[in-house]
Amino acid sequence: MSIDITIAESTDIVKENMNDNVIYFQNVDCRISGKDILRGITLNVRRGEIMGLLGKNGAGKTTLLSLISGLRSHTSGEINVLGEKMPTHTAEFRRRMGFVLQDNALYEELTIFENLKFSASLYDVQNSRKRILEVLEILGLSDRRDQVVNTLSGGLKRRTAIARAFLHDPELFIIDEPTLGVDVDTRHALWAYLRLLRSKDKTVIVATNYLDEALALCDRVAVLGEGALLEVAEPRELVRRTGSCIDIECDQQTAKKIASEVLNLQQVTRTDLTLSGISLFLDKGTNPDKVLSEFAKYGSIDGFCFRAPDLSEVFKSLGNRHP
Amino acid sequence: MRKNLRALLGGMNAELNRMRRSRLLIAIVVVQSVTFLILVTLFGMTGAYAPTALVNYDNGPLAQQFIHSLENDHRSFALIFMNNETAAKQLVEQGVIVAMIVIPQGFSQSISEGKTVPVTVFIDNINTDMTDDIQRAMPAAVMSFGDALKFEGVNVSVAETDSYTHDTSFIDYMIASALVLDALIIAGTLSALSVAEEFESKTARLLAISPVHPLIPMMGRVVVTALVSAGALAITVIVALVSYGISPVQPLEMVLTLLFCVAIFSCLGAALGAVMKRTLPVALFVLGSALPLFLFSGSYEPQRFDGNLIWVAAHFSPEYYAVGLMENSVFNLKVTPEPLGLLALALVGWGIGALALAWFFSRRGFS
Repeated sequence: MSIDITIAESTDIVKENMNDNVIYFQNVDCRISGKDILRGITLNVRRGEIMGLLGKNGAGKTTLLSLISGLRSHTSGEINVLGEKMPTHTAEFRRRMGFVLQDNALYEELTIFENLKFSASLYDVQNSRKRILEVLEILGLSDRRDQVVNTLSGGLKRRTAIARAFLHDPELFIIDEPTLGVDVDTRHALWAYLRLLRSKDKTVIVATNYLDEALALCDRVAVLGEGALLEVAEPRELVRRTGSCIDIECDQQTAKKIASEVLNLQQVTRTDLTLSGISLFLDKGTNPDKVLSEFAKYGSIDGFCFRAPDLSEVFKSLGNRHP
Repeated sequence: MRKNLRALLGGMNAELNRMRRSRLLIAIVVVQSVTFLILVTLFGMTGAYAPTALVNYDNGPLAQQFIHSLENDHRSFALIFMNNETAAKQLVEQGVIVAMIVIPQGFSQSISEGKTVPVTVFIDNINTDMTDDIQRAMPAAVMSFGDALKFEGVNVSVAETDSYTHDTSFIDYMIASALVLDALIIAGTLSALSVAEEFESKTARLLAISPVHPLIPMMGRVVVTALVSAGALAITVIVALVSYGISPVQPLEMVLTLLFCVAIFSCLGAALGAVMKRTLPVALFVLGSALPLFLFSGSYEPQRFDGNLIWVAAHFSPEYYAVGLMENSVFNLKVTPEPLGLLALALVGWGIGALALAWFFSRRGFS
């Protein structure tokens, strides 16, 4: 999949491909209680893709999801979701969307089956019993269908919340922190399930703090920082474009010397002092050998390795570039 | 329409399942309402039959006659016969009994000779209410004693004409009105908890993005809490009527009044739940406001006895109208100046108003 969006040139491309877009944001601001939560967001999400929203807590991910679902209204700009101009509250629009909230929002004193049955009554799901059993089977909850929710583990609650959102077979599936507080096995099972949705041409929006999740799951990620869209790209492309990284093993004194000297170098975008020395993040196109030889004179270097930065480091770099 | 009906039934079904697993909560609410019944009857009991020591140093017939007057002609005393004045005084000081009455030696002889005899009364005046009761009761007993013996100068004649053909005991009177209080506690608490929980557990947000209006499933839930409340109140009513031996004069009117109360308090509870959005504070608020509302609504006696201002203020509470109807249906009493039809109409008006309040605040809660 190619990268077709950057912040600077996004508007035209978004307009060109509007027919394929399930979600389309143009220059959207959202102000809540006098505070700018989202600023100038321009973004599109295509049918059948998994789009990740990546950002620290408070970056605006959940607010952005609330705007898509219609739970909140934007202050300015234009939002179009599933062909409807937002905000919209039509029943038909809501039936086409499934939303998993960050905190599950399950009825704790009801069983898994009863929770789904209630949801089926809200969404007027036909043959609800058959459909519920089908969804429970897919999510591996069949054996626990009569278990009361307040006796379930965090992972099973998460699965139940996802099952409920999927029950009415929505076109657009919004999920806030899909694997928050779940064990590794459940995490992989949920990823597999989300990929299954994509294979059925469903569109999935995932807000996550977990960087490996974005790498493993998402076709593209939109990186948010302090309410602004920092970057939209394929996760791996984002890593590649951010540049390479050198981990240098050295004593703390040498590491501090390198950290202070590096300020003079344009090619180094960021440094991280680590327990074993220092990590240097290099601008794309920089020759790492050259940089390394530059720092050898500041002290004894015990070892080094070149590697691609992970998404966490990418995010930090973006944050540094766009404070 | 069909979709809305399905959502309504879905809400009802979900609430029914929730209630099935909350039997302990329902039991506690019922126990609590019975506790309130006991509480209000205690208010009535403390003003009567105060435990009082009687130390009698005279064995004459007139002393016996005086004791009879103390015991039977007024409801203030529960006499405990003691021989030792010092021990009786100690019991008063310890707060075990309220007062001590001493009949001196030579009481009968002095009375028969037409002399004035001082009768010592030692009172624990820690509570002036009780002190006042005893101060009022003593002269009444003396008057009754003198009248019975046809003493010169004591001429008591009461020409009583009653408003009603029957007497109603104070405690029974309070039980009838306390059932309205119970309706508030049971229905108000259960519906407030149900709605507040929707916001507390964030499920309200899911309802807000569902294809049906969120108030429809919510209404289903409140209907079920009202039905469960009606059942729980029925248990309380049976306990109260059987325990106090009360037989309602017009049972159908009583049942309808209580059902209306359940509907009104369920709606008001729902409105409170939507405003407060937290289960613990809303439950405490319902309990905390129940007793003052009850006391301001003519629950102890016809409200106009307490002054015009309170009486006027009481009209703003549904309990005022409900208590008026309850006293009529249970004892055939008319405790408000308004006719019964108007009371019933006011209660219906309150029902509609409470529904509108529940709708307004729940809707605002979802926005």
